[in-house]
Amino acid sequence: TGPKDPGYAKAFSCSACHGWDGASRADTVPVLAGMPAWYLKKAIQDYASGKRPAAEMEPYAKMVLELGVDDVANYFARQPKPAPLAADPAAVERGRVAAAPCAVCHGTTGKGDPAKGVPDLTGQPAGYLRNQMLLFKADKRSPGEPTLSAVKALMKTIPDAQYADLAAYFASQR
Amino acid sequence: APAMKGDFAPKRGPRVVVIGGGWGGATAAKYVRLGDPAIEVILLEPNKQFVSCPLSNLVLSGVRSIDSLTFGYRGLRSHGVRIIHEAATAIEPDTKRVRVGEGYLQYDRLIVSPGIEFQTEQIAGLAEAGDQVLHAWKAGPQTVELARRLQAMPDGGVFVLTIPPIAYRCPPGPYERTCQVAWYLKHNKPRSKLIVLDANQNIVSKTGLFRAAWRDYPNIDYRASSKVVKVDTGAREVTTEFGDRVKYDVVNVIPPQRAGTIAVQADLVGADKRWCQVDHVTYESVKHKAVHVIGDSTIGLPVPKSGTVANAMGKICANAVVHLIGGKQPPAMPPVNVCYSWVSDKEAMAVINAYRIEGGKVVQIEQKLTPGQSQAFGQNALGWARSIWNDILG
Ligand SMILES: Cc1cc2nc3c(=O)[nH]c(=O)nc-3n(C[C@H](O)[C@H](O)[C@H](O)COP(=O)(O)OP(=O)(O)OC[C@H]3O[C@@H](n4cnc5c(N)ncnc54)[C@H](O)[C@@H]3O)c2cc1C
Ligand code: HEC
Ligand code: HEC
Repeated sequence: TGPKDPGYAKAFSCSACHGWDGASRADTVPVLAGMPAWYLKKAIQDYASGKRPAAEMEPYAKMVLELGVDDVANYFARQPKPAPLAADPAAVERGRVAAAPCAVCHGTTGKGDPAKGVPDLTGQPAGYLRNQMLLFKADKRSPGEPTLSAVKALMKTIPDAQYADLAAYFASQR
Repeated sequence: APAMKGDFAPKRGPRVVVIGGGWGGATAAKYVRLGDPAIEVILLEPNKQFVSCPLSNLVLSGVRSIDSLTFGYRGLRSHGVRIIHEAATAIEPDTKRVRVGEGYLQYDRLIVSPGIEFQTEQIAGLAEAGDQVLHAWKAGPQTVELARRLQAMPDGGVFVLTIPPIAYRCPPGPYERTCQVAWYLKHNKPRSKLIVLDANQNIVSKTGLFRAAWRDYPNIDYRASSKVVKVDTGAREVTTEFGDRVKYDVVNVIPPQRAGTIAVQADLVGADKRWCQVDHVTYESVKHKAVHVIGDSTIGLPVPKSGTVANAMGKICANAVVHLIGGKQPPAMPPVNVCYSWVSDKEAMAVINAYRIEGGKVVQIEQKLTPGQSQAFGQNALGWARSIWNDILG
């Protein structure tokens, strides 16, 4: 995982936002440490192609593709995932109950399913999870993508007040 | 403290000396240790604490405290960086020595990140004015004092901010400051106005985004191509190169800049006597072997003088130095840039740059702007600060 890793120097610039070795402690910037390589790679490809619009990631996604996305993805996958940030226990409990409809895809523990292209939500900062759910709801994440229409339809059924609870729940899981 | 005479810390193995514990130097010191713990790292930095320039414009508007931007160097010590709170007084590239007080330190490779110094002599009356005219362009006591003067200004008073010609530290910084002062005045002194005298022909960074942000602040009177050449503290007025005189109640002069003094004295600067040319892969000075320069002091790469860039250069240069000391070819790694700018107490926007290395030179792949300003970008801006401070000092 150290300086001998082929992804070590290629991952240097990500820590400016995602934290040292990808262990983000920021509420709205995702943790990369411990992220499965397949998913990091897919996210980079989606940002670079413009499919997943995000001004803060698109230029870097193009850079990562030039540097070698496999090295970068494998590097972050090997970093230890940081402990979840503190959360309000009452919100976590409410979120646990509200998360029932998510389990079909993300699994009962929120760990996701690589075979179906569903990411691990556990330990991601709550602000980030909530923002992504709102982007789905407004069809601003991968707009028009047919394979995501079920997720987006589901998000529209969730009352606004529940977004923060769901986010707190998944964020608090290891 | 041990007396610093002669070779006061004899070198026993490979050693890197770093001059300056700011955004570039502190990062480089940490990453040399991470890259190879067998290399001894000595950091020279006169200040006991690190005060972040990024977010310091929010101290002027009263949105943040300077304490919330002030950090110690404990994290670097935990990586085995030896910190000496003294200034380097000279560099001797031929004997590979850095002078400190009456003594010297021997190095194998030297990393120089001294930031910027002001060309006070470019504005008549500025040197004589002393602390009566503030720059607040190095975060610290001047930032706090400028905030105090802004608060003490009577409602109806005029705040004058002057912007130097490029190249200077943080291209969007003066325009962010404009937003913060205007936001403060709008909410606290509605009869006051802010006159911005810009030496440049137009807003030099994120022009459209700042213009849009300023629609919320009719109290801004922005004047392009208005280079200030004189300040008169008696008459409380500044004069532009075209002879226009502008009265102020509170003035903030951001003077023209050059590389930190040590870089000039050590002959690391080019013919302009201002900035340092470096190799785009190793950051080795084009003028002196085994001396690397990073951060705001450099010129020639298509990057802004920003904290993000200084941090990126710190990591890349540290890695190159580790490779060179180990007798290996350093990898060619491009830097990145992001500059978030705060346009109110909660909203921010950003410019994002990615680069590649082509034929040994850094070239830009793409520059992107956030689609407007928002509180969500403000949250990401806070995330950036938190992450990068930890990357530098944690
Ligand atoms: C108001 C303002 C807002 C800004 N906002 C942003 C922002 O939002 N994002 C961003 O990316 N950038 C921002 N910047 C720019 C950023 O602060 C600089 O680009 C960055 O600090 C440059 O790093 P550096 O290492 O070159 O210099 P510095 O961080 O200034 O570090 C230089 C250090 O060297 C030390 N030093 C100097 N001479 C010697 C010597 N002889 N011996 C030992 N030590 C010495 C100094 O004490 C200092 O600590 C902002 C700047 C300002 C002024
Ligand atoms: C300017 C700050 C910044 C930098 C630098 C940055 N990122 Fe990001 N990154 C973000 C933000 C903000 C998001 C969330 C964007 C969104 O809403 O989709 C993000 C999202 C991501 C995601 C999606 C995570 C998920 O759970 O879907 C990945 C993967 C990622 N970044 C990888 C990287 C890599 C690799 C680098 C370095 C080469 C990098 N980032 C550099 C700000 C940054
Ligand atoms: C029909 C399948 C499905 C269901 C049901 C579903 N998701 Fe997802 N979710 C996905 C897929 C697929 C992705 C990845 C999208 C991509 O690759 O861009 C995803 C991504 C996410 C993300 C972004 C993660 C990241 O790292 O960026 C969040 C947050 C999320 N889902 C939350 C939820 C919540 C909360 C629920 C339940 C209320 C839910 N999802 C229900 C399929 C589903």
